[in-house]
Amino acid sequence: MRPVLRPLQALARVPAYLWAAVLVVGMLVLLALVTRVGQMPGAHVINRAELLVINTTAAQAVALPYVWHNERRDWSGQATYRLRLPAALGDAPLDDGLGVLLPRAGVHYRVQFNGHEVAAECWRRGPGYCDAGTHAHFVALPQALMAPVWADNRIDIQLQGQSLRISGLSPVWVGPRDTLNARYRWLRWWQVDLTWMVTASAFMMGLLSLLIWVRTTERLFGLLGGGLLVLTVRLWLSTPIFVPGPFPLWDYVHKLSFTWYCGFVYLFMSELFDFRQGIVRRLVVAMMALGPFWLAMLEWTANYQLYRLWTGVIVLVCVAALLAVIHRARWGMNVNQRMMVVVGLAVMVTGLRDFLVVQMGLRGDVDIRWMTPGSLVLMFAMGWVLVRRTAVAMEQVARHNTELARKVREREQELHAVFERLQSVESQRVLEAERRRLTRDMHDGLGSQLVQTLNMVRSSGQRIESEAVASMLHHALDELRLTLDSLEPMDGDLPTILGTLRQRVGPALQAAGIELVWQVEEVPAVPGLEARGVMHLFRCLQEVFANVVKHAHATRVTVRTWEEGGRIGLSVADNGVGLGSMPDAVFQGGGRGIGNIRLRAAEIGATVRFSSAQPGTCVSFMFDTRAVSDAQRPDFV
Amino acid sequence: MQATPPAQGSSGPIEDTRIYLIEDDPTILHFVQQTLLLRPHWRLIGQAGSLAQARQEALLCDANVFLVDLGLPDGRGEDVLRLLARHQPDAELLVFTVFGEESRLVGALEAGATGYVLKGCSGEQLIEAIEQIRDGGAPISPLLARLLLKQFRAVQDSLPDFPPSDLVGEVLLSERETDVLKLVAKGYVNKEIAHKLGISPATVGTHIKNLYRKLAVHSRVQVVRAAQERGLL
Repeated sequence: MRPVLRPLQALARVPAYLWAAVLVVGMLVLLALVTRVGQMPGAHVINRAELLVINTTAAQAVALPYVWHNERRDWSGQATYRLRLPAALGDAPLDDGLGVLLPRAGVHYRVQFNGHEVAAECWRRGPGYCDAGTHAHFVALPQALMAPVWADNRIDIQLQGQSLRISGLSPVWVGPRDTLNARYRWLRWWQVDLTWMVTASAFMMGLLSLLIWVRTTERLFGLLGGGLLVLTVRLWLSTPIFVPGPFPLWDYVHKLSFTWYCGFVYLFMSELFDFRQGIVRRLVVAMMALGPFWLAMLEWTANYQLYRLWTGVIVLVCVAALLAVIHRARWGMNVNQRMMVVVGLAVMVTGLRDFLVVQMGLRGDVDIRWMTPGSLVLMFAMGWVLVRRTAVAMEQVARHNTELARKVREREQELHAVFERLQSVESQRVLEAERRRLTRDMHDGLGSQLVQTLNMVRSSGQRIESEAVASMLHHALDELRLTLDSLEPMDGDLPTILGTLRQRVGPALQAAGIELVWQVEEVPAVPGLEARGVMHLFRCLQEVFANVVKHAHATRVTVRTWEEGGRIGLSVADNGVGLGSMPDAVFQGGGRGIGNIRLRAAEIGATVRFSSAQPGTCVSFMFDTRAVSDAQRPDFV
Repeated sequence: MQATPPAQGSSGPIEDTRIYLIEDDPTILHFVQQTLLLRPHWRLIGQAGSLAQARQEALLCDANVFLVDLGLPDGRGEDVLRLLARHQPDAELLVFTVFGEESRLVGALEAGATGYVLKGCSGEQLIEAIEQIRDGGAPISPLLARLLLKQFRAVQDSLPDFPPSDLVGEVLLSERETDVLKLVAKGYVNKEIAHKLGISPATVGTHIKNLYRKLAVHSRVQVVRAAQERGLL
């Protein structure tokens, strides 16, 4: 496979415009070969006719091709071209009969042979759009209608005028029927079948371009789609069809489609060559905008000079556009632009050839125009450029997507790393806060209890009171258990927190002969009561119960919870001596008194209130159900 | 821990209490021995200081109360509980713990424990705990109740929409048991709960003990289900 692939790969590296150049040169050579002036054995061309225009005085001899409107200057009426059969044909009678080939006759025509109608097109179909002059016609001459004397045979070709259409007759071929019929089929393929092929291709490509334009909103596709669709209309009206409706309307569409086609092609080129601004572009847009009005005026006045003028405008604009392209080429062109220049030059060659052959009499098949295959090549070249652009754009999108994905991945990794660092910092911060809290609790609770026990043992000397030491160690153990309780997950469940505390303080109250009345009801979770908050609440309530046991002389203490207007309440009320009778140290804010309770309550987002319970004291805590942020908490140590 | 008044007996008369201690701390052994002097007809029939010894001796002994330390030198007390629950189904399994951390107690209850007692308690408190559990009661704390409520809710959520009725009775909480747990979680003691629900305090204790049994069953159901999912059963 490698020996085969290598040359193919080398060929694939050749720029596309060079390929295109080779192909169009090949096409031009092929066209030159197939449109050589051929021989039709036995056929004769008739270059002279006798013209009789209706309502004129006398017949006149004319040389073909001849446009009879040149004589009338209006579009009405009929004309008859009378032809005589060449004498040479009569000398050698034909076995397969005679035929006539009309390369161009129109717009409407009828053929009479010796006074009998033998062919007609667009002659009596009524109002509608029909142009027989766009293609060749073959007419068989019946043997039965032959005059006994050869010189008496005559062919009358009658033409009807049509507004704004040139009406005339080109040289006529007469000869063996089969020979002329073969030539006719050959011309029909070029003039009709090829046109239909170009029409269908233009329609499909135009539709495709418009669809891509709708999806991508890229102007280039819109311009190409518009150009190809108006070209489709133009070509469709240039084929042998009959369209009902007023002729001027379809003639207007036919002429306007050409104007717009030229405009769209130029705009497409300007978009492709990136010279969007400039006087030529403005001229083209003005031409496209003015065209409908100018051509409407043309149809209204039926003045053919207006059309000639308009054609001149189109030619001038196209020449200006061509100059702009050449001007632009000074800055260099990319492969697509070179491709279009190559194909554009080839199309210009086809137009030049048609002009030289048809108008200047250069040797060549005058009935076969190169412009039709030329426009097909131009169309496919434009399509190829678009496909290439789309492919490049898709490759760019794919590259951008890959790049974007890579960047997103990098950012994700960076974010992940930052998040992990933040998480680590946050973990460290939480750990530090917990360490400080536990240290503080150990220091205030267990530590001080053990120090007290130690001091007591030391001061007791040899007489250690084991009961007292056991009691103090038991108390120390309770302190430790309280700290561990605060670490259990309670999720801000106030009744459970109170119940846990009850286990610790309940025996002390019982020992002091104080009845505990439990009126705890289910309330919503308190947001700030996580481990640290729980310990603060424990300490607050420990302080309150200690005051009750030590100072209140109470016999009963009631613990109650409730919910009120989105807030949660907790109260501890005793029936003791009341606020006024307690020692100052308890409620004057010093040491382990109210100040400590207030400070701890503030830290868990609660407000605390001391009031008289008549008799006794009531300490109430009110918790806000909103979460307490760390920023709001004082740094309480 | 709160005390539960005597209710129905579980395995023979309370005078016939035969205790087996699984604990590596000799001071605790001494404490238990001293405490049993308060109840001369109770007997300490054996003691194991390690998991290995407990496996060899405790599973075959004739005790009806086992005191089990969770932190053994050669293994976890939960493993001992699991073995005892299988080999000594009628015995009471009391966990001996220093701090009574509820999170760990749930694991012990799932392994088969029927109660717990705090190390550092007085001899009277130990006697009271043993009598309570022998009379059909069980200790509980508000936090433990809260954890159990969550645990049983998780069990309920994990069951299919229409579980077998026998499974529901064996694994899920009854309405009364739920009420009891909720009140315990709010800090109420057995006497107050009994008053609120119009039942006797002993019945409250019975409900609590039932909860522990269901928790152990639940644990076993989970093991069976996991085995089924893995295609082992």
